[in-house]
Amino acid sequence: MRTPILHTLFAGLAFLLLSFAIPPRKKIKVWLIGDSTMCPYEPNRAPLAGWGMPFAGFFDSSVVIDNRARGGRSTRTFISENRWQPIADSLQKGDYVFIQFGHNDEAKEERYKDRYTPVPDYKTNLIKFITESRAKKAIPILVTPVTRMRFDKEGKMMETHKEYTAAAWEIGKEYNTPVIDLDAKSRELLQQFGPTDAKMLFMQLDSLEHPNYPGGQKDNTHFNEYGARRVAELVLAEIKTLKLELAERIVQPVIKK
Amino acid sequence: MKKTALVCCLFALMSFGMTEKKKIKVWLVGDSTISVKEKKAYPETGWGMPFVHFWDSTVTVDNRAKNGRSSKSFFAEKLWQPVLDNLQEGDYVFIQFGHNDESKDKGERYSSPEEFKANLERYVTESRSKKAIPVLITPVARRKFDDKGQVKESHGEYAGLVKQIAAANSVPLIDLNEKSKILLQQLGPESSKYLFNYLTPGEHPNYPEGKQDDTHFSELGARKMAEIVLAEIKTLKLELADRIVQPVKK
Repeated sequence: MRTPILHTLFAGLAFLLLSFAIPPRKKIKVWLIGDSTMCPYEPNRAPLAGWGMPFAGFFDSSVVIDNRARGGRSTRTFISENRWQPIADSLQKGDYVFIQFGHNDEAKEERYKDRYTPVPDYKTNLIKFITESRAKKAIPILVTPVTRMRFDKEGKMMETHKEYTAAAWEIGKEYNTPVIDLDAKSRELLQQFGPTDAKMLFMQLDSLEHPNYPGGQKDNTHFNEYGARRVAELVLAEIKTLKLELAERIVQPVIKK
Repeated sequence: MKKTALVCCLFALMSFGMTEKKKIKVWLVGDSTISVKEKKAYPETGWGMPFVHFWDSTVTVDNRAKNGRSSKSFFAEKLWQPVLDNLQEGDYVFIQFGHNDESKDKGERYSSPEEFKANLERYVTESRSKKAIPVLITPVARRKFDDKGQVKESHGEYAGLVKQIAAANSVPLIDLNEKSKILLQQLGPESSKYLFNYLTPGEHPNYPEGKQDDTHFSELGARKMAEIVLAEIKTLKLELADRIVQPVKK
């Protein structure tokens, strides 16, 4: 007695069973904490972009990216300005916290003394981010500081964050925290581009090229929209390599007809 | 005291002299090289996307360009009529077609040279009938190099037709084809790939198999093309150039 109604019933039942088997993914947040190389920018700063901006486009609807990174902040000032506590208070089980600091922590010059953080303090602050994330059952991820563009005379990329990258690794190992070595990966990327083309990733503008920067710009630290995306892609690749559960939430491509 | 009064007086006079600028729209009419992309197509970018950041608050950019459209199908699909209906005096209409007009194998897009010229003239005269200012743009170059690393002409015939119509009707012309070819030549066959939607497999979730697109731009290429258009707006001394955004003081 296979009537169309029965068919529909069966189909309905099968569908119901399947829905139980694959529960819809719990919504999670990915919190980004860090500095100017990661943070969002207003259009009046375009084409300046932090890598957190294109990064937001990589995930499906079960993921919300909350980019709390802020220009000029070190681990110390991020905490002292009360930027971390509200995040720690809001963290939910299963959320991710991507932590990328170093550029400002390592700024030893007198004019940057407001942000300078010696390595031992940097480590202590990273530990704080890790332990307080875990206390809320969130998943901390350490990201080593993305490289600056500095080539030697032979056209080889130089290390620009040696001490602080090593410190992040050390804490990552000690606290069994996944580390994305963005410093190393971005150096590889810039090396592929080479000294001339690597400028295409950074805020390098001729005078009068862009109305937001009439005097032009020669910035070897901050990315343009293209560089930010290429860096975000490096982070994404490492999320896959580390086999984080987050990798299962990468957006599916729309199949073209 | 006297000095302050004088300064105030001067300031008042100046404010009368500089009347508030009327708000205008810049309409972008064209194809996929200009259009706003859906998220699923990122990082493919049309040059109309970064172009919006170049203007002060008196300018609204309304990007009506659409993937796959020719000067002909833009009419046929009634994409032009709503633009025309809403044009206000002093608005600009930037018109860039050619990529799809020249595709002989696609009937609904293809425009013969004669049709193409007639279509462009129609955009021009209808814009002017509403006291809007049409600007013609030659089709932006594709990334094509010969064996010797020289940029090849990718729109020769249709770019020439745009120039003809601009000259015949005294329409400001932006020769984006020529200017973008110069940029591609400066970069050369390898580095010019960064301007286009070139992706290795697995690099970007929207293109798992990767992409090698010599027509559509990356964020960088789109912005560079938009910058060329901006530079030409200044060179042509269009009134629009007085409305370029002022940088924020840091």
